[in-house]
Amino acid sequence: MTVALENGIVVLSGDCPAGDAEELLQHLLAEPAAAIDWQRCDTAHSAVIQVLLAARRQISGPPGGEFLRSWVEPAITRARSSI
Amino acid sequence: MDEFVEQFLVEARELVEQATVALDALDRGGEKPREIDSLFRAVHTLKGAAGIVEFDAMGRAMHAVEDVLSRLRTSPESMPPTLVVDSYASIDQVTRWLDEMQASGEPPKNADAAADAIIRRFDRSSHGSGTEPSQVADPWLDRLRKAHPVRFVESVCAFLYCPAQDAFFAGEDPLAVAAAAPGAKTMDLWLANDVAFDEFDPFSCALQIVVLSDAQASETRNFFRDQIDRVEIIDLKGPASSPLSPTARAVLDAQLKMLAFDAQHGDEGRVEAAARVAVNVLRIAGLQENASAVETALAAPSVDRRREGVMGRIRDAVVQRDDVIIQHEPAPQAAVAATRSLRVDMDRIDALVNLTGELTVVKNAIGHITGSPPDQVDANAIRVDLRKQHDLLERLVQQLQSAVLQVRVLPLRHVFQRFPRLVREISATLGKPVAFVMEGEAVEADATVVESLFEPLLHLVRNAIGHGVEHAVDRSVVGKPATARITLRAHRQLQNVVVEIEDDGKGIDIERVRQTAAARQLASTDELARMTEADVVALIFAPGFSTAAEVTGLSGRGVGMDAVKNAVERMGGTVTVETRAGRGTIFRLVLPFSVMMTRVMTAEVSGQVFGVPLEAVVETASVARGAISTIGAGRAIVLRNRTLPVLTLAAELGLPASFETASEARLIVIANSDQLVAVEVDRLGERMDVMLKPLEGLLQGMTGVAGTTLLGDGRVLLVLDVQGLFA
Repeated sequence: MTVALENGIVVLSGDCPAGDAEELLQHLLAEPAAAIDWQRCDTAHSAVIQVLLAARRQISGPPGGEFLRSWVEPAITRARSSI
Repeated sequence: MDEFVEQFLVEARELVEQATVALDALDRGGEKPREIDSLFRAVHTLKGAAGIVEFDAMGRAMHAVEDVLSRLRTSPESMPPTLVVDSYASIDQVTRWLDEMQASGEPPKNADAAADAIIRRFDRSSHGSGTEPSQVADPWLDRLRKAHPVRFVESVCAFLYCPAQDAFFAGEDPLAVAAAAPGAKTMDLWLANDVAFDEFDPFSCALQIVVLSDAQASETRNFFRDQIDRVEIIDLKGPASSPLSPTARAVLDAQLKMLAFDAQHGDEGRVEAAARVAVNVLRIAGLQENASAVETALAAPSVDRRREGVMGRIRDAVVQRDDVIIQHEPAPQAAVAATRSLRVDMDRIDALVNLTGELTVVKNAIGHITGSPPDQVDANAIRVDLRKQHDLLERLVQQLQSAVLQVRVLPLRHVFQRFPRLVREISATLGKPVAFVMEGEAVEADATVVESLFEPLLHLVRNAIGHGVEHAVDRSVVGKPATARITLRAHRQLQNVVVEIEDDGKGIDIERVRQTAAARQLASTDELARMTEADVVALIFAPGFSTAAEVTGLSGRGVGMDAVKNAVERMGGTVTVETRAGRGTIFRLVLPFSVMMTRVMTAEVSGQVFGVPLEAVVETASVARGAISTIGAGRAIVLRNRTLPVLTLAAELGLPASFETASEARLIVIANSDQLVAVEVDRLGERMDVMLKPLEGLLQGMTGVAGTTLLGDGRVLLVLDVQGLFA
């Protein structure tokens, strides 16, 4: 499973395909206070990242994958701070 | 040449024509959705065609043009004059590329610079709907600037990428795409809509991806070429290439429109007002030189001249004459290369197919006759049958010949269509406003004739603008309209095609031609004094003659009117000139409809038969030998009160002299340029229509022989090139 709820934290791991977006959304809606951990996430499809962006939750990083670390994480951080 | 390239050239030229026709209509003013549509489709298809021959630079350039046009197509705005100018320039560049391709057989390698120039020109930022302020200051760009103040300044371009809502369904990963864009270094993510999280739709893409990049805007545009309508690309280093902001362009457009309107309605006071506005706009844009040029144009003495000048200088500022894509001279060698493939009307091919069918019927009928059993042969009946089939065959072969000729026929439009743009360029360079009229573009001629016409016509048109017509000021002094009129017209006259270039200029100064001819020793003063005016004017075709007092880059390039004359005569045509002082000049080219069918007359000399083109033969005569008198080393005869030199064909061809000494000499009187020559032969033969086959291989360079054809008995007939032989 690439999206899972572990001890009240939504954990992303490995390669998260576009299909994970809905599951991630369901988890986040079910647990309105849950934080997100993507330290073990190597890659994530744009659809998944879009959910992360919209959720505005606390995210524990840095993510495992290089692209997520250097491109996506800073972008999400900036997006949150600018709102 | 590659088959695809050949096909591409044929098609692209037609598309260029379509685009030019549309632009001409738009240039004449008025809102014409149909023309914009036609222009758009031509550019769109040119882009596709460029892709097929892997001519990426042209594909990119056409894409940029298409992009701007497609937005214009759907907007209620009219086509801004500056956009017309830019579109002309890009279509002209395509023509230059096509010329290069025709010469080399492959897409030009160094086309990127010119393509980039077109792309810069059609950049969204300079041809957006320029009147909306939101286009000038993009909010996303501001936000990006605030988020990355340092990186923003260091970057070459920025883009906003809004993927389609169904991008996820289509299997796309937009972030990966954006990050893979050339030179991308910083990415920001925004959501397009701000919905509550519990209503969020994870399947619909609402991402807005903003990227700062070190790559050129053109490179980025190329990367996103498949979804260019989803990307907004801003060239952050752009101002260097285009100092005019969209607002400035919009203001200049408005002035051009007003001046054009003014030209029809003649409100003089507005010229100055428009010029002042333009000067201010140009000053603010930092274009001091262009601003001064507009002011200078305003100082012209007549209103028309002022208006033309101001419009011209404003256009100059928009076009930026030092831009890579403005070059006036077509590549000279490119114009010479002839097309090897042509597009043929299906009906004409069908006619050939039908004839083939009928010929087969005749063949079968003859087979039937020869197949009759020997014991039933009635010689007389066979003769009747054969004669019947022969008559049929004769008719069919005749039809076949004319059908084949029809296949090679092209409308003159193919060569005429290149002139409106050239006239525009030349008249702009010389500052002489010209109204260019074309008539009879639909007149047809053999493809070889049509294609060889370009060079001589170009020379004549250049000449008409350069020397024929006066400057606008001088015209108004003598009461002519400021805008000169040049007409290029064609019509069919029996077996010939007549092409005329007429101007309404000052006419050829006959006195000056006399003086120049005397100074260049083309004729003695006595001869000149005796010549009629028409004969004097014809001297301009003499080699080495040029009346150009000033040698400009346009006329007087070291090739005179003699080059025109030679080119026309090579096609088997003639060129004449008619001029009236103060009223104008007409150059008239009379060309054969077809270069393939030639009427020849045969003549025998030293036991060999030769053909002489009938067009060169003035008359034939049998005269008593005594009538030919010996003058020095040569011989001459008085015929119809004219003294003609007499040459012997055998001697001219280096053949042994004939032993036959008939009491009468057989002479063929030949017109060689404007001189008559009597040529003695042993025997005169028949006249016939032949398909002249040009010499090939080793014999190609041989002078004196125009070509060969097969005689009825299978012998090869050499047809002499009279001009070459007796020159």
